[in-house]
Amino acid sequence: MTETFALLVQGFGVALTLQNLLLCLIGCTLGTAIGVLPGVGPALTIALLLPATAKLDPTGALIMFAGIYYGGMFGGSTTAILLNTPGESASIVTAMEGNQMAKRGRAGAALSTAAIGSFVAGTIATLLLTLVAPIVAEWALLFGPAEYFALMVLAFTTVSTVLGASPLRGFVSLFLGLAVGLIGIDAITAQPRFALGVPDLLDGIDIVIVAVGLFAVGETLYLAAYFGKTTETIEKLSGSIWMNKEDWARSWKAWLRGTAFGFPFGSIPAGGAEIPTFLSYATEKKLSKHPEEFGKGAIEGVAGPEAANNASSTGSLVPLLTLGLPTSATAAIILAAFQQYGLQPGPTLFSNTPGLVWGLIASLYIGNVMLLILNLPLVGLWVRLLTIPRPLLYGGILVFATLGAYGLRQSWFDLLLLYIIGLVGFVMRRFDFPVAPVIVGLILGPLAEQQFRRTLSISQGDMSVFLTHPISAVLLGVATLVILVPWALRRLRAKRLAAVLRTG
Amino acid sequence: MLVAAGVLALGFAFAVGTWLLPDAPSYARVGTRLFPGLISSGLVIVGALLLREALTSGFSAFPDEHRDRFDLRAFAWISSGVVLHLLLIAGLGFILCSSFLFVAVARGFGSTKPMRDIGLGLAISIVVYVLFTQALTLSLPWGAWLPELS
Repeated sequence: MTETFALLVQGFGVALTLQNLLLCLIGCTLGTAIGVLPGVGPALTIALLLPATAKLDPTGALIMFAGIYYGGMFGGSTTAILLNTPGESASIVTAMEGNQMAKRGRAGAALSTAAIGSFVAGTIATLLLTLVAPIVAEWALLFGPAEYFALMVLAFTTVSTVLGASPLRGFVSLFLGLAVGLIGIDAITAQPRFALGVPDLLDGIDIVIVAVGLFAVGETLYLAAYFGKTTETIEKLSGSIWMNKEDWARSWKAWLRGTAFGFPFGSIPAGGAEIPTFLSYATEKKLSKHPEEFGKGAIEGVAGPEAANNASSTGSLVPLLTLGLPTSATAAIILAAFQQYGLQPGPTLFSNTPGLVWGLIASLYIGNVMLLILNLPLVGLWVRLLTIPRPLLYGGILVFATLGAYGLRQSWFDLLLLYIIGLVGFVMRRFDFPVAPVIVGLILGPLAEQQFRRTLSISQGDMSVFLTHPISAVLLGVATLVILVPWALRRLRAKRLAAVLRTG
Repeated sequence: MLVAAGVLALGFAFAVGTWLLPDAPSYARVGTRLFPGLISSGLVIVGALLLREALTSGFSAFPDEHRDRFDLRAFAWISSGVVLHLLLIAGLGFILCSSFLFVAVARGFGSTKPMRDIGLGLAISIVVYVLFTQALTLSLPWGAWLPELS
């Protein structure tokens, strides 16, 4: 405990240097901006910045990326409330309830409760992260390759089943990502695989190309082809942006409950912030003295889910830092950023580079304060970003997307890949395939293969080790349940429905 | 249907690719083939399941908001922007290609002010070019046809 505290103080020493403060501020500002802008998310932004930051000091770069990750959450709520277009599935609830508030002239209070709620949740969650992460890291030292492999399998199944329209589609996305991850030179035997004799493929397909292709090119094609002519109405920023006494009274409990839902869901590999926001919304509705207001703009319905969303995104840093296990697309890209600097998140990260880990954690506290200041008084400035005409916005996005892809190694072949992956992304969007499992599969696949082969070379090819090691067996069991339980429930429901139909 | 068939085909393609991989016999008996084998069989399985779903219950069991609204013109504008960019960037240089891409995407989104788009596209491309080549010292193609600046 006191040891943790000393390390954290050390971390603040790292985070409070002028360079790192500046990078944190840049990250938070950029994050808020891209969170507000529809069509750009933190995953895309960090992917685009990866090549440009390769020569930067890793601590500073990661502090900036964390700022973008956080800022995106803050900024996203602004768009959700004023435009009723949730930037990501986790802000669906905010969009629903917050937009209703805005329509009733309470946009200011809605933005306020979202921003302060995000701040409260983010700070509490960072505190929990500070306390939990070293414990998990120590515990994770006991893990061998078999346990890591099982853990990755569990992450694969949860990411695929929880995100998106149906588990099957999630698995299709996951296997696509895993397959793309196979392309290139095999890390252990240095043998080229699936490169089809194309020298440009020997290094594999870069994560930047895949992420930018799916998130920028695919998304732009999809929106232009199907929603090019829809016009959106922006709600005016009306009413005081400060909350009144009643708003505070109704918000603070919702913030705390939201945090309590968000953090644990974020820190177990359970796939994203969607579930805790829905849980928080349902709870607030049940506990509220004004249940009739829900659906028409109840402040608790914005406060709780926003807090849950933020707490869960902080929570997802626990498995990322201590186990190297990403549970969302953005976390996967941050993992790629670590790899770019030759760092592998996991328990050894805490012992080998404490300055980096604790500097990063300390910067989260600082970033939260910065974001609160950036978002509340300056909200009018961010709202102006929403008035950028869409043709210009997406034109700009694609210019930067191609720039990022081309900048990797100045090859037109990468641009061709970008377009092909963009087309795949377009088809995936059209038919409701989730994109995140592709990214997670691509990043985690090669690591999983390494652990898998390491396990088998220790056991001399004996596959049963995965089931005889207790931790690995339990994790694989849970992974199986994650697949089977929803499927069984659906079966049961279908049967019951059929029975009702027969008797009725 | 087509999507499902595509996934299935990709699965088989990877399976064949795995089969063709020379398996260097290592002391651990786990070579380069096992893991790709697992993944390609996974792809085949999900592809088959998807195909079954497409054939039996219909592919989109969800409210389909965008049937028959596919805007080919918009799709073609954006595609042409990206494809011309990749074909011509080495020859025409970054600034012109990116400006054209910007204009094409704006057109795709129904912009009716081509002059504004061209002006903005050029401005953004030039700023980015200067920023990247001067401040970040990354090289971007200037364009073979343009007179050398020095």
